[in-house]
Amino acid sequence: MNDVFPLGKEDLLKAYRTMKTIREFEERLHVDFGRGDIPGFVHLYAGEEAAATGIMMHLNDKDRIASTHRGHGHCIAKGVDINAMMGEIYGKSTGACHGKGGSMHIADLSKGMMGANGILGAGSPLACGAALAAQKLGHGGIGMSFTGDGASNQGTFLESLNLAAIWNLPMVFVVENNGYAESTSVDYATAVDSYVDRAAGFGVPGVTVDGTDFFAVHEAAGEVIRRAREGGGPSLLECKMIRFFGHFEGDAQTYRAEGETEDNRSNRDCLKQFRARVTEAGVIDAGALDAIDGEVMAAIDNAVEQAIAAPLPGAADLTTDVYVSY
Amino acid sequence: MARKLSMKDAINEALDQEMSRDPTVIVMGEDIVGGSGSPGENDAWGGVLGVTKGLYAKHGDRLMDTPLSESAYIGAAIGASTCGLRPVAELMFLDFMGVCFDQIFNQAAKFRYMFGGKAETPVTIRAMVGAGFRAAAQHSQMLTPIFTHIPGLKVVCASNAYDAKGLLIQSIRDNDPVIFCEHKNLYGHETDVPEESYTIPFAEANIVREGGDATIVGYGLIVHRAQEAADTLAKEGIDCEIVDLRTLSPIDIDSVVESVENTGRLVCVDEANPRCSIAADITATVSQQAFGALKAAPQLVTAPHTPVPFSPALEDIYIPSAASIADAVRKTMAP
Amino acid sequence: MRARGPAVSTAKPVVGIIANPVSARDIRRIVAYAGNMQITDRANIVLRLLAGLGAVGIERVLVMPENSGIRQHVVRGLERSGNLGEARFPKVEYLDMAVTTSTGDSVAAARRMREAGVAAIIVLGGDGTHRAVVSACGDIPIAGVSTGTNNAFPRFQEPTTVGMAVGLAVTDPELGEVAFRGNKLLEVEVAGRREIALVDVAVVAERYIGARALWHTRNFQELFVTFAEAEVIGMSVIAGLLDPVDRATPEGRHVRFDNSDDPACRLRAPIAPGVVETIGIESWGALLPDTPCPVGPEQGSIAFDGERELSFSTGDHPTVTLRTDAFRTIDVSACMHYGARKRLLHGERAEHITPATQPEDSA
Repeated sequence: MNDVFPLGKEDLLKAYRTMKTIREFEERLHVDFGRGDIPGFVHLYAGEEAAATGIMMHLNDKDRIASTHRGHGHCIAKGVDINAMMGEIYGKSTGACHGKGGSMHIADLSKGMMGANGILGAGSPLACGAALAAQKLGHGGIGMSFTGDGASNQGTFLESLNLAAIWNLPMVFVVENNGYAESTSVDYATAVDSYVDRAAGFGVPGVTVDGTDFFAVHEAAGEVIRRAREGGGPSLLECKMIRFFGHFEGDAQTYRAEGETEDNRSNRDCLKQFRARVTEAGVIDAGALDAIDGEVMAAIDNAVEQAIAAPLPGAADLTTDVYVSY
Repeated sequence: MARKLSMKDAINEALDQEMSRDPTVIVMGEDIVGGSGSPGENDAWGGVLGVTKGLYAKHGDRLMDTPLSESAYIGAAIGASTCGLRPVAELMFLDFMGVCFDQIFNQAAKFRYMFGGKAETPVTIRAMVGAGFRAAAQHSQMLTPIFTHIPGLKVVCASNAYDAKGLLIQSIRDNDPVIFCEHKNLYGHETDVPEESYTIPFAEANIVREGGDATIVGYGLIVHRAQEAADTLAKEGIDCEIVDLRTLSPIDIDSVVESVENTGRLVCVDEANPRCSIAADITATVSQQAFGALKAAPQLVTAPHTPVPFSPALEDIYIPSAASIADAVRKTMAP
Repeated sequence: MRARGPAVSTAKPVVGIIANPVSARDIRRIVAYAGNMQITDRANIVLRLLAGLGAVGIERVLVMPENSGIRQHVVRGLERSGNLGEARFPKVEYLDMAVTTSTGDSVAAARRMREAGVAAIIVLGGDGTHRAVVSACGDIPIAGVSTGTNNAFPRFQEPTTVGMAVGLAVTDPELGEVAFRGNKLLEVEVAGRREIALVDVAVVAERYIGARALWHTRNFQELFVTFAEAEVIGMSVIAGLLDPVDRATPEGRHVRFDNSDDPACRLRAPIAPGVVETIGIESWGALLPDTPCPVGPEQGSIAFDGERELSFSTGDHPTVTLRTDAFRTIDVSACMHYGARKRLLHGERAEHITPATQPEDSA
């Protein structure tokens, strides 16, 4: 008995490549950061790939997303170049932000990626602004904000739900519920079980899906995005998912139960599940996926090599780009 | 052609002309139209003090009343400005910055820099500032220093209707985030204002009065107090030069330095509280750049280190008065 | 059909309540106009059930635990009532079990309640929750209160009344003949796996489970129903508008869809809240009990009571079989009418009603 899909073979391969790229990008950062090669802080998206990928496959460059501090997955799924990303994480002038932003502020407005954000919840009003612009300019794009289970308690998120509802903005609020806000469990920090209930309180419909199931995310995301695009107004999409690493790299994760991460990696790995389903259905053969694995590893290696070799920004770069003109 | 226009009407005209010129300009804020969703008239208020009245009839739903949600709508205006719109968002009182400051100082101010020069954030945030309205502590502050301190923001504060119109048009056309401060006690003040659209560049102070004996620097309501002080001092044979800064960031410090190099005496006046005020900022910079020219220690005249009091008896001595400015000038003249 | 009630033991009967918060967050909120029953509303329903049970002498109730907030509200309600000196509620015990916040919790709770010897289980939820409970409750009769999206199996009945009816049914031996009904269900067997549905089994062309709900009508292939009422929403109403069959009659319905551009029969049916679609019908007929019916398409997915649960492909050969008298429900209306006729809530027999509120007994 098999489970087969709404996407054609090419799109399935693309989905796998995106998820694999995110996974290996993050796994590599975990190693390199542990060795002390990377300045600052990184917050890794490994384990959550199905959500970013399943959602972003429905978006184009006119659609704008406002991401979180854990933004590498959103960047990659939205089409930001991994060399530019790696360069930025290493603080090099070749980075997406010329080394001025770092991991928490990677942005590429040409791809509709309004930036990873170090202030949790700040993205929701900004994405409402993108949705407002799309509505006023009539170009058919949507705004989308990502918040975690923690940031979805922030006033900015709640105010944005109301604003999007009263103005019928083409908005999707994605809540990435991985069960932990830093070290604090969602069962403690959030009064309701489901963020869909919260959205309902603001007159915004919502749906909860298993965020480790690419196909569930993809189908539900398709509906909420279509609804936003076609004047149906805002929706909330809650993805229940798992992050494999800590809140930040260096987090000892003592708040997790013993064996929790091992169990997650064995039984709730969205990439393993995706691979099993497409190969068991006979739609994609394992060899094709293995080939992608190889290509992705090479691309990541290349990105790291380039980033290491790239120049740091010079002293003159310190004072540039504060304003358009001053 | 110029005619007498109040600062309030000059601001209204600037918004009207820019909205007519550029379809991407939208205006939003609490009650800026007024009456949204209510059974009574549309445009019931046109802003809490009527500054935006009449615009809705001309520009319709490009004016948007917002719910009581500064974080959301100021943030939305900022986000929209990076996506092809040119929003003018009203933060009714600059005192309300607390509920949305992150969107302004961590988001709008920093996009261009953090994103390596790839973002443009052409948002204008209009807000009322200043005391003397009996509006008490949470509706009367001069918080310009806080915004001036933040790299990535521009801060404007006009002292008259003519400057208000030109500077607001400039602010809207500017491609950086601008905090446009409107002194609530100057809304009724009239000057000659041309009918046509015009701009006034930032970082261009206005020497509103020439004189060789002392330089008085201020902005907003203070410029008028300084004029009163200068009138009094002129009778004593002291000729003051008054520099109206007009924009606090970017600031035309060169004009101040040039004036001090001529007069040798500096009096910085500020309605803001004294610590880290604009007055303190200018005094330090000018002292550093024109120390040799100074004939006397610079004087600072600011509000006290207190919240704005309610009682008129107290509020009237909170704002630097013409008398206190004149006293400060006399101090610099003392041998 | 009426089923015999259990022999009522001398021990005071215990009742179970399963209120699963997981229902009603699915995509029907986006693709239809489905509502969203809030946690506090669910908690109020539980309190109303408890009040009804308490009023007719039930002293102990086992409740499924969850981490969604229902428990907090219920406990608070019980405490407040206790503080006011009311003797309104039975003693409530939460089962000691792990909470996974999935439908599996309903299954696990039903199993434990059965092991604990409850006389009845009251279920709050949609078709999915009821299905889960039926899969594990065995012979224990259930009563349902609808809170989910699909309204085909459980009705929305005033929970206070449900509590009273269930309490009467399990305490009063006279009610035996009246209180319990046997219900039909559908058994699906595919590739060694057996699944049940309480109302409908739909075969659709989508070969993926995805977001589970059914809304792409052009993909409907076949429909099997245990009963089909004309005045509900969901898949079963399709059969209900073609040829209704009630819960008692020992047969179901089998409908084949026609997705060509020019179907012989076009039916307008309310398949989801606020969504009335035109659906092409090829044929329909009776589904007889205990006769495995092979599914037509070679591949596709099977939805149980409105939710896609499994996919199948060539060689899997799923079959659908109607079973009668497969599980028992409590007929709330019959219980209450019987109670009225037999004055079960009057005078001496209504020892839990305070005299002040009791009308004169004119018997």
